[in-house]
Amino acid sequence: MNIFLSLVLAGVSVGSVYALVALGLNVTFWTTKTLNFGHGSLMMFCAMLLVFFASQGLAMAGAAILSLLIVAVLGMFIERFTVRPALKGNNSMGWVVSTLGFGIVLQGVAAKLFGSQAVAFPSLIFGSDDFITVFGLYVSLQYLLVLGLSIFLVVVLECFLRFTRWGQAVRAVSHDPELGRVNGMPVNAIVIGSFILSALLAGAAGLLVSQIGGTVDPAFGFNLVLFGFVAAVVGGMGSSIGALIGGIALGVLSKLIGGYISSAAEQPVAFAILMLMLALRPNGLFAQAEATKA
Amino acid sequence: MTRFRNALTALVTNPYLLAAIVVALALGADWMSAGTVHILSFVMISIIFALSINLLTGLAGQISLGHAGLFGMGAYVTGILAKTYGISVVVSVPVGMFAAGLVGYLLSFPAGRVRDVYLAMMTLGFGMIFFEIVREWNDVTGGMMGLSGVPSPTLRTLKPFGVRINEVWFFRAILLVTVLTIWIMRNVTQSRTGRAFFAIHHSEVAAGSLGISRTGTKRLAYVLSGLLAGLAGALYAHLVGYLGPDSFSLNRSIEVLVIAIVGGLGSIAGQVISATIFTFLPETLQVFSEYQFIVYGVILTFSLIVLPRGIAGLLLAPPRFIQPRALREMRKEPRKAEIGEAAKTQPAEAGGVLTVKKLTKNFGGLTALDNVSLELKPGRITALVGPNGSGKSTLVNVISGLYQPSDGRVEFKGQDITGLPDHRIAQAGVVRTFQDPRLVPNFTVRENLLLGAHRLMTHSGFGSALALPRAIHEEAEFLTRIDKVMDLTELTPTADQTIESLPYGYRRLAEVARALVAQPSAILLDEPAAGLSEVEMEHLARIIRRMKDMGLTIMLIDHHMDFLAELVDDVVVLDSGRVIYRGTIEGMRSDRTVISAYLGEEEAVNA
Repeated sequence: MNIFLSLVLAGVSVGSVYALVALGLNVTFWTTKTLNFGHGSLMMFCAMLLVFFASQGLAMAGAAILSLLIVAVLGMFIERFTVRPALKGNNSMGWVVSTLGFGIVLQGVAAKLFGSQAVAFPSLIFGSDDFITVFGLYVSLQYLLVLGLSIFLVVVLECFLRFTRWGQAVRAVSHDPELGRVNGMPVNAIVIGSFILSALLAGAAGLLVSQIGGTVDPAFGFNLVLFGFVAAVVGGMGSSIGALIGGIALGVLSKLIGGYISSAAEQPVAFAILMLMLALRPNGLFAQAEATKA
Repeated sequence: MTRFRNALTALVTNPYLLAAIVVALALGADWMSAGTVHILSFVMISIIFALSINLLTGLAGQISLGHAGLFGMGAYVTGILAKTYGISVVVSVPVGMFAAGLVGYLLSFPAGRVRDVYLAMMTLGFGMIFFEIVREWNDVTGGMMGLSGVPSPTLRTLKPFGVRINEVWFFRAILLVTVLTIWIMRNVTQSRTGRAFFAIHHSEVAAGSLGISRTGTKRLAYVLSGLLAGLAGALYAHLVGYLGPDSFSLNRSIEVLVIAIVGGLGSIAGQVISATIFTFLPETLQVFSEYQFIVYGVILTFSLIVLPRGIAGLLLAPPRFIQPRALREMRKEPRKAEIGEAAKTQPAEAGGVLTVKKLTKNFGGLTALDNVSLELKPGRITALVGPNGSGKSTLVNVISGLYQPSDGRVEFKGQDITGLPDHRIAQAGVVRTFQDPRLVPNFTVRENLLLGAHRLMTHSGFGSALALPRAIHEEAEFLTRIDKVMDLTELTPTADQTIESLPYGYRRLAEVARALVAQPSAILLDEPAAGLSEVEMEHLARIIRRMKDMGLTIMLIDHHMDFLAELVDDVVVLDSGRVIYRGTIEGMRSDRTVISAYLGEEEAVNA
C-alpha cells in the first residue's frame, strides 16, 4: 500500500510537470490551432540561459527574469517568422515543419554556445532536499511548487478565458480570425500575445523542471513535449482543466506501470495511450463529438 | 525560366543519359577509391529512403516525423536475421523490407484516422517508441551497445550463395535495386495509384466522392512507404555491419524529411538530386558536418516559405501524372466511339431510381433534415431549392455518404445504400460535385478527369507499377474517352493546363466533367452554377441537358431561377429541413408557402 501511495504521489508530481507543458501548448492552440513543436527547445534554452547568466555572476532572480525575457522574444520570433507565413499557405504541414525546425536550430545553437554536455542547474527556490511529510511520505517541495503553479495557472487561465473581455476576444479569434478582424479586434496582437505567453510558460516549466533534475542539456525537453501533448490530448486540446487532469492521470499511470512492471515501459505506454486516444477519442476524454461541415 | 526548366527536365529525365550514368557508375566503381564507393552506396540508400517519405508525405500528404522507425525496422530485422540466425542476405533483406511494410500497415490504423498536428505528433511518438524499444531490448537488439557483426562487404563477411562479395559488387547490387525502385516509383506516380494518393492529399472528401477509399488508399501509402524505408534500412544494415540505436533516432527522421523537402515533395528527380547532395556534403565539407543539425533546422524553418517546391520546383518542370506511353497510345488510335455512341451505351448502366425515404438528420439539438422523402427518376432533372440553411447540402451529404442519417433510408436501383461509406456509394454509381470545386490543383484538367475514371479501371496496382501493357492500354482507352468528355464540355483547349492556373469557371466545369467521366447513373450537382458568368452558365446548361439525354438521374441545387426554369422537370423545395413543395417550377412560383419561405411575406417578382 505504501509503495502504491508513493508511486501515486510520484505520478502526481511528474504529472503536474506534463500539465505545465500541456498548458503552454494549449495557449497557441487557442488562437491559431497551432502547436509549437519546438516548445521543448524553448524550455531547454531558458534553463541554459539561466545557467549561463548565473555563471556570469548575475543574481539568481535577475538571471531568471532575463532568460524569461529572451525566451519571450523568441516566442514573438516564432510567431512572426515560422507560424504566420506558414498559416498563409493553408497547409498544416508548413508550421509543423517550421516550428520543429526552429526548435532544432535552438538545440544546435545551445550545443554550440554552452556545449552538448549536461550542465549542473542551480537551486532556484527550493533545494532538492527540501521536503515536507504527508501521511508519512516525503514530498519534495520542488514538485509541490510545480503542482501549485500548475493549479494556479489553470485557475488563472480559465478565469481569463471566461470572465475577461480579452479572454472572450481570444475565444472569438480561435473560432474565426477573419470575423474577429472585421469586428475590429487586434487579431495580430492577440496571436502574438499567445505565443509570448506560451514561450513564457515554456521558460518557466524549463526552469522548474531543470531544478528538479539538477541538470540541463541541449536535448532536454523534446520528450517532455510529447508527454505534454499526450496530456493535452487526453484532457482535450485547448482545455486548461483537461490539461491538468490529463497530465496527472498520465503521470500516475506511467509511474504505476513503471513501478509494478518496468520503468522501461513508461514511455512506450504513454505513446500507446496517445495512439489509442487519437484513434478512439481525438477530442479528449471529456469532449463531445464535434460535427464538422464538409 | 520555363524554357530552361523544360530543357533541364528533358536532360535529367533522358533515358539514354540516365542509362549512361548508371552504366558508368557500375563499371567505374572498379577504379574508384573504396571511400567513394562507400559514399555512393550511402547515396543509393538515401535515395530509396527519401523516395519512401516522398511517397507518404509528398504524394499522399501524410506527414511523417518518425520515418526512422520504419527504416530501423528494416535494418534491425535484417541485421538480427543475418547475424543472430545466420540467414543469407538474399532472404534477410526482403524479410526486413516486409517487416517494415507490416509496421507501416499497422501504423496506418491509428494514423489513418487523424490529420495535421495529431498525425505529426503520432508519427513523432512512433519514432520515439521504436527508438526506446531498440535501446532497451538488450537481448535482441544489443541495446545501447548496438548489434555488431552483421555480414557486410566492408568486412568481407557477406556471402550470398557462398560467394564472397566485395564493396564494389555490393554497390552494383544496390545501384540496380535503386534504379528499379526509381522506375517503379515513377510508374506508380503516373498511375491510378499515384493519382489516388494525390486525391486524398488534397481532398479526402472529393476522393471519396469519386469512389476512392480514403482508408484503403492511406493504408496502401503507409505499406508502400514502409516497404521502401525497410528496403533502405535492410541495405543499410548490410552495408554498415553495425546497428546502434542512435542511427535510428529523431535525427534520422529529421534528416530524411529535410532531404525530401529540399528535393521537392512529389518530385522523384528532386529526391535523387537532394539525397545525393545531402549524403556528399557532410562527407566532403567538414564545416557542414559540424553545423549539420543547425543547418537542417534552418532549412526546415524557412524552406517551405522560401522554396516551397524545393530544388525540383526551382529547376525542373513540374512532374506529370499520366504515363507518356498511355498518352502516345491514345493519340495513335483513331477515335472509335463518337459521343452519340457513348450516349447510346449509357442507358444500360444509367436509369437508376434514387429514393429517399423519411430521411432525418440531427446535429446535436438542430434538425437539419426532417422526414424528407423524394424520388429522383432517370432522364429527369430534379431541382432542389430552398433558402440558405434549409438543408439542401445536408441532404446531398447524407445521400452521398458523408453524413450518417439519424433516421430514414436511401435506396438506389432498389438497393439500400443508407449509411454506406462515401466511396462505396460512388462505386454504386451515385456521384456528386461540391459547392467549392475540389480538384487536385497541381493536376492538369486531363489528369483530374482521369481521377474520375478511377472507379472504372480494372487493372491492378501491380500492373501499373510495372507499366504492363494491359495497364497502359486501359489508361489509353480512358484517355480517349476523356477526350470525348472534354469535347462535350468544351474543355479541350485547357486539357493540359493545371487547375491552379485556370479561372474559377473552368474549375467548376472541370469538376462537372470529372463527375461525368465517372459514368454515374445518378449525379448530384451542388450549386454548379455558383459564381459562373452568363456565358459559362449557358455552357453548363448545355452539359446538363446532354446528361439528361444520356438518361442520367440528375439532382440540381441552385438559386438562379432563370437558370433552373429552362432546365428542370421537377422541383422540390426545402425549408428548415422539411419538404414544403414538390411539382413543376411554374407551380412553385405561385405557391404561397414557397413564396413566404423564400421571400418573407412579400410578393416574388423574379428570384
